[in-house]
Amino acid sequence: MPKPDFGFAFAPNRALDLSAPLLPEVQVVLETEPSIRACMACGQCAAVCTAGAFTPLAFYRLVLQLRGGDVAAVGERARHCMLCGKCQMTCPRGVNIRNAVLLMAALAPPKP
Amino acid sequence: MNASEYLPKDEVAIIGGGPAGMQTALALSERGFSVRIYEQKEQLGGHLKGWHHLFPHGVAASDLLGQLKEQVLARAVPLHLGQSVDRLQKVGAGWVLWQGERPLGRAGVVVLANGFALFDARRKEEYGYGLYPSVLTAADLEAVFRKEQPWPFGSDRMAPQVGFVHCVGSRDLKCGSPHCSKLCCVTAVKQAMAVKSLFPEAQVYCFYMDLRMHGLEYEELYRKAQVDYGVRFIRGRLSEAAPGQGKRLHVKAEDTLQGRPLHLQLDMLVLMSGMVPAFLLEQQERAVFLKEPVFGSGFVPVQGLLAAGSVVQQEGLFASGACKGPATLPEVFADAAAVAREVEQYLKSLKAVAHA
Ligand SMILES: Cc1cc2nc3c(=O)[nH]c(=O)nc-3n(C[C@H](O)[C@H](O)[C@H](O)COP(=O)(O)OP(=O)(O)OC[C@H]3O[C@@H](n4cnc5c(N)ncnc54)[C@H](O)[C@@H]3O)c2cc1C
Ligand code: SF4
Ligand code: SF4
Repeated sequence: MPKPDFGFAFAPNRALDLSAPLLPEVQVVLETEPSIRACMACGQCAAVCTAGAFTPLAFYRLVLQLRGGDVAAVGERARHCMLCGKCQMTCPRGVNIRNAVLLMAALAPPKP
Repeated sequence: MNASEYLPKDEVAIIGGGPAGMQTALALSERGFSVRIYEQKEQLGGHLKGWHHLFPHGVAASDLLGQLKEQVLARAVPLHLGQSVDRLQKVGAGWVLWQGERPLGRAGVVVLANGFALFDARRKEEYGYGLYPSVLTAADLEAVFRKEQPWPFGSDRMAPQVGFVHCVGSRDLKCGSPHCSKLCCVTAVKQAMAVKSLFPEAQVYCFYMDLRMHGLEYEELYRKAQVDYGVRFIRGRLSEAAPGQGKRLHVKAEDTLQGRPLHLQLDMLVLMSGMVPAFLLEQQERAVFLKEPVFGSGFVPVQGLLAAGSVVQQEGLFASGACKGPATLPEVFADAAAVAREVEQYLKSLKAVAHA
């Protein structure tokens, strides 16, 4: 007998669990580039980002996702960066974005 | 009592012996006016008595209070402690102060300096204040810092998880307080840093809607909390607190920057209870009543420029400090000087009329 279709499917729980400790690789990124912590999610970096116009790259979102432990997505998205440095010029909190992006990009598994 | 009986025109009565009352008394006394303070408690100090250290520089609250009291004593300002004024009666050009049926004294000018009250956090039932012992208010946490109250978690917890909820009972129409209490953001940052200093392994989170770091050096404190102390700021108002694992609390919120729900187990939840009116001023033709505030009753209404001290509709009645709305201590002190000047102008104008 076919299963009834109620028109929805179960998706994995989207909730973030902050009680889980930061992943060790995330801690390494934050400790290697402590200026990341100064980000206040103003979004200016994303607004000037050339790569961001065509790809899912938005630096401040990478910072949020990094803390959430979504390292694969962070690494994947960071690789869209062309290192032009406009974001770093514009960041009011002086985040060393270029170095942060390089550290983040290294989180993705190497391309085959 | 008729008008001709009334004499002490230069006598200023100050209602409230908190920072505003003390500083206004000092400013007027230095100008040569005779002032006296009526304070309902047995001690001077107001809310400052309950704080541990002050933003932004961490000055000990007891040091500042000690200095203020010393100056008040040095100028021999008469103190009427344990006297709560609940009614002012206009007699001639001045006032008679009452506590119930008992006249407490008279004065040519009355300055209201009776401050603010803390929002009763039990009214935000979803946060469980009064129900769960690990839910505190910011004022309770100051008492913990002052060692007047124990930490709500065991001493075996070296890495407590601690959350601060901004805007509790502020910016909340349903609670009758549409205003921003304006100093709880920086207070949360100050307290978060203090918790991290005492428990370096702690995880500390601030749940905010926006961070209002209006004062000199407050923004720098915020950045320091992020970078040097690792305090995490989550944009989103906590939706609820419920019992969690063991003695912990389970809290939920939406991380509105990520557009994702989040949950967390906490050892201590601190509610940044806002500043609300301490009394309701009921103004009549020749009398003013200080009553229990009601839902949405608001702070003391003043007229003129933004920082003005004279109370709407009443000649010879002024207001100083946080009874007019949320204010920090530096603001209260600046206001006291401004109010003292207004009182001086008023008393001079009376003299000019008398000599004319
Ligand atoms: C959690 C918290 C932390 C804070 N930390 C800081 C800080 O670090 N730095 C800073 O600058 N500011 C801080 N503030 C603000 C500071 O507490 C206020 O600016 C200050 O207390 C206001 O002084 P006030 O004299 O106007 O009012 P209050 O301190 O409320 O004093 C009012 C006085 O009037 C008396 N009174 C009331 N009614 C009557 C009556 N009818 N008759 C007689 N007496 C009466 C009261 O007993 C009291 O003594 C903080 C506030 C809060 C809520
Ligand atoms: S510009 Fe700087 S502070 Fe603003 S979001 Fe980007 S990294 Fe953060
Ligand atoms: S100062 Fe901050 S915590 Fe306090 S009411 Fe305003 S926004 Fe909310």
